Amino acid sequence: MHAIETHSLSKRFPGGFGVHELDLAVPPGSIYGFLGPNGAGKTTTIRLLLSLLKPSGGAIRIFGEALTARSRRALANVGALVESPSLYGHLTGRENLEVTRRLIAAAHRRVADVLQLVELAGDADRLVRTYSLGMRQRLALALALLGEPRILILDEPTNGLDPAGIQELRALLRQLIAERGITVFLSSHLLTEIEQMATHQMAMHQMEMHLGVLDRGRMLFQGTLAELRRRAPPRLLIECDDVARATRELDAAGETVTADGSGQLVVALAERTSAQINRLLVERGVGVARLAPDDASLETLFLALTRGEAARP
Amino acid sequence: MSSLLRPLAAALAAEALKLRRTVALRMCLVTPAVVVTLCVLQFGLTELKVGQSGAEAWKGFAGASFALWAFLMMPLFVTLEAALLAGIEHSDRQWKHLLALPVPRAAHYLAKWVALTVLVFGTALVFVGLIALGGWALMQMRSDTGLAGWPPWWWLLRRCTGMVAAGLFMATIQLWVAIRWSSFTIAVAAGMSATVAGFIVGQSRFGRFYPWSMPVQLFAKSGEHATFAIVASIFGAAVVLAFSVWEFSRREFE
Repeated sequence: MHAIETHSLSKRFPGGFGVHELDLAVPPGSIYGFLGPNGAGKTTTIRLLLSLLKPSGGAIRIFGEALTARSRRALANVGALVESPSLYGHLTGRENLEVTRRLIAAAHRRVADVLQLVELAGDADRLVRTYSLGMRQRLALALALLGEPRILILDEPTNGLDPAGIQELRALLRQLIAERGITVFLSSHLLTEIEQMATHQMAMHQMEMHLGVLDRGRMLFQGTLAELRRRAPPRLLIECDDVARATRELDAAGETVTADGSGQLVVALAERTSAQINRLLVERGVGVARLAPDDASLETLFLALTRGEAARP
Repeated sequence: MSSLLRPLAAALAAEALKLRRTVALRMCLVTPAVVVTLCVLQFGLTELKVGQSGAEAWKGFAGASFALWAFLMMPLFVTLEAALLAGIEHSDRQWKHLLALPVPRAAHYLAKWVALTVLVFGTALVFVGLIALGGWALMQMRSDTGLAGWPPWWWLLRRCTGMVAAGLFMATIQLWVAIRWSSFTIAVAAGMSATVAGFIVGQSRFGRFYPWSMPVQLFAKSGEHATFAIVASIFGAAVVLAFSVWEFSRREFE
């Protein structure tokens, strides 16, 4: 059973498709990075998952339970932060939590629990209008966690935060994932954000990062980060004393070579290994200063996918 | 229906908390105080009919206060309260948080409607209390007002309740406008325009059919259209409320 599963989920707007036949599959207990450039349809998808928009077609299941306009029970498993925090500025942090607690009939102790978790207990009785953006974001996260959700849906959670705020939020999310085993569905156009989260989690808990890459309303890729990396052809980065000559020699030898603009050559590895390419250059009189495999960053893979360069699933 | 009662009770409890420190709550005291103060000044500074009984003088003073409230201040107050109540959710786009909770959408809307109705009725009760206080102040200011004894409580409460019932249609329309459009200006402009139109429509033979003029029907022409205004208002409010809940439940929040 998936944490989130959609089947042919579509949303059509008057100007055209918002999202087209999405088949999302978010494994429980995973971090799912939902990537796409601005306007790809990430927020539309999230609004569909939260029942803020009605699908034009398709179905949504959250932990096996269908989410429809008539049945919203599945949302009891979900905590969400969509874009900027929605808070009542004239109420205190504690009162903001109490409003939601009353609505979802959560236990009274949950308010103190989540305040402690997001480290806002000391500021809980201040009016929210006096909070910094980072504090507001943490309070919004506390609101999302109030009902002890099994999945957190976060839409561009670092938008508008300063570097310190981003660090704080990132640390908090890592703690949540590590300590509570919560599934996190994280949408972002900031690829480094997802990559950093993945790196830490994978290092600490041998967790696999799952990704969905969306562009113009269509899913271009869905799978693990390792699967995505496998789609990128291996490349070799070369620094040498004569770039023009090296390019000529490699071209003549049938290699695909490009200059990256910083005096470095990029060779797509195919028939020859990196050792053979090194030998070829040295034998033709080119001094090789550095030769390194290019571990494609998520950014590179993402751009390749959204430009249609990488193979589609 | 029973499955809606529990979430509705929860949504009402949440509404009560949201009202803390709001202008909406302060206006419940300010607006009736303004009207009663004006009526006290009017009675205190003008020639009065002499030879009335104490009860008649009370009804004269209270009736004038009620008429000013029902004709002008109540429609403006309802406009403002509906816009402020809706504005609590529009201001920081709280709908996207509220409507992503496992609570039926109808519960959120009905809670707003009940909150508005309670505020309007509560303010009408405050108004009755201030009329009594204003009458007592008049007695101290002038001995020739004829005001004497206790205010006619039963008479005041009946008119207060009838006036609120006759205002339900207007309040329900005003709430729908305020929730449907997130702009405070649209909600206030709609209410003010409808109130101004009521100056003309209210004095015509169509006044009893016009939602913004229904409350004043209790005090105009010896209240000959009072029953019609109350029944029509309750019926109209029920129809508009049913439509509003249906429309709100289907609406998309982008």
